[in-house]
Amino acid sequence: MKRYALILTLVMALAAGFGCAKKTTTEPGYDDGMSPEMRAAIQQISDSRVYFAFNKYNIENQYDAVLKKEAEILKQFPAIRVRIEGNCDDRGTQEYNLALGERRARAAYEYLVQNGVNPSQLEMISYGKENPAVLGTGEAVWAKNRRDDFRVIAH
Amino acid sequence: MKKFSLLLAVTALAALLAGVPAGDALAAMRVDIMNPGQNIVNMALAAPLTGPDKQATGMGAQLQKLVDQNLSFLPFARLTDPKAVLGGIVLQGWEPPALDFKRFQLAGSDIVITTYWPDGDSGTKPVQIRAFETNTGGRLFGKEYARVNSKDLPEVADRFCADLLEALTGNGDFFRSTLAFVKKTGKMSANVWIVKPWGRDLRQVTNMPGEALSPAWSPDGRFVVFSHIDPKSHALGVWDRSTGKVQRIRFPGNVVIGPSFMPDNKVAVALSRGKYPVIYLLNHVFQKERILEEHNSINVSPTFDKTGSRMAFTSSRLGGPQIFLKDLASGSVTRVSKNGTYNTEANLAPDGTLVVYSRMTEYGQRIFVQDLITGEERQITFGPGSDEQPSFCADSYFIAFSSTRGGGHHIYLTTRHGGDAKQVPTGDGQAFFPRWGMPAQQK
Repeated sequence: MKRYALILTLVMALAAGFGCAKKTTTEPGYDDGMSPEMRAAIQQISDSRVYFAFNKYNIENQYDAVLKKEAEILKQFPAIRVRIEGNCDDRGTQEYNLALGERRARAAYEYLVQNGVNPSQLEMISYGKENPAVLGTGEAVWAKNRRDDFRVIAH
Repeated sequence: MKKFSLLLAVTALAALLAGVPAGDALAAMRVDIMNPGQNIVNMALAAPLTGPDKQATGMGAQLQKLVDQNLSFLPFARLTDPKAVLGGIVLQGWEPPALDFKRFQLAGSDIVITTYWPDGDSGTKPVQIRAFETNTGGRLFGKEYARVNSKDLPEVADRFCADLLEALTGNGDFFRSTLAFVKKTGKMSANVWIVKPWGRDLRQVTNMPGEALSPAWSPDGRFVVFSHIDPKSHALGVWDRSTGKVQRIRFPGNVVIGPSFMPDNKVAVALSRGKYPVIYLLNHVFQKERILEEHNSINVSPTFDKTGSRMAFTSSRLGGPQIFLKDLASGSVTRVSKNGTYNTEANLAPDGTLVVYSRMTEYGQRIFVQDLITGEERQITFGPGSDEQPSFCADSYFIAFSSTRGGGHHIYLTTRHGGDAKQVPTGDGQAFFPRWGMPAQQK
């Protein structure tokens, strides 16, 4: 009987403990300790996009400003690590698009490194056509899917 | 164990079957499936019998239905409507002289198939299946399948159909094959499944978060390898059929694309090396062994003929993606696809005579075959929707591909000559990347 009471107490204590932890992390206004500058930097990186022409992986001039700004931020915040995600539209075939997406991610990677970003802050992946930003058909949709996304994975 | 004993019994009894010695088959009728203009063969299924004029209604009827379903996947076979047979399909006998060929001749049937259950068709009983030419009365083959119970019926139907196909065409691999494919359940979520090309034995074999692509069977039937993408990385997935376990093998770099087995059970796969994917050969424990193809361009999707001496692959070395063929002994690379600006997903026929690939057209992807001897190219699918990911069966005749012609992506079968495509039943969800398992896997 004594043993059951002890087990029950332990279980209740554990449950209470987990409950408390959950409450703390989901509290509105939880302070993650991030400075407003860091928060803004992460937001800016996450909002960045580079788009590509069909079956191309060269960075067009119009995205120079986007990538240069990103390079500045990454140099200013060396703790930030970014995963560059290369994507394609759905007209091409999957295996070739995986390779093309990698070339697109690599193009942005090389641009950033050439602009002084430490390579250890960057990683790349290709999702090919498996992760479209927009569903549908037509050039307006396809153009939005031929892109590099920038995901902050550590800061 | 049961399968082995069935196989053994079939092998032993096939030769001993009274009146049906195995070497006595009259193979006068041959269907040339490899050349264009293949003929249609009209086949009739006589009612299964337990004795003269006594129709089998238990397992006999079930087996008949399974055989009928199987044969409907043969594009050169047309099944005779039983109602078109004057006098009906319930016969006095299952072999000459009691077998009445005339009624089938009149119905336009070239072949009649008889099924006889000498000890009845309930419980565990033997069944004899024979196929005859109706015009000559010659027997194409006959076999007895011993100790058949209701659970064995699909296997008996498949073995019979493989034998029939082999007797007619010289190759029964279609009915000995298993397709691996991926089924998508959401964005970046897909797993590997397997199914018989006629829809039987559908089964999920991996259950991993992330997306599986490009499954490929090992020639010995033990492994299915595939690309696996999760949000962070690419990897080589390996399903071991003997243990049911799945490994996820990472490689340095960013990509693992389009693995394929060589005849010696080694894997070729596109992996990162510098700026471009390079086609590597892996050893038997899936480690890099050597480079098979490297160029300052995208090089992916290797496939091989059954000798392993030639490799078809996709390369962007001339700008847009095109199909190339590499002689692995000499190292010479030749361009295969000469039309269109976007040709990908090459699949080399095991007999090395054809390569099949998909081409981007203004109407979507379409599938083409090119004769590697004459250089002649022919379109074999015409949509609607998009037709992709073609793959040759071990017989170098059947081709599986995925298509959106029915709405979402599903798997279809056609042949090297094209023609009406038949959908492979794969259950709910969208199905992609059909790849044939080699017949050895089921031995």
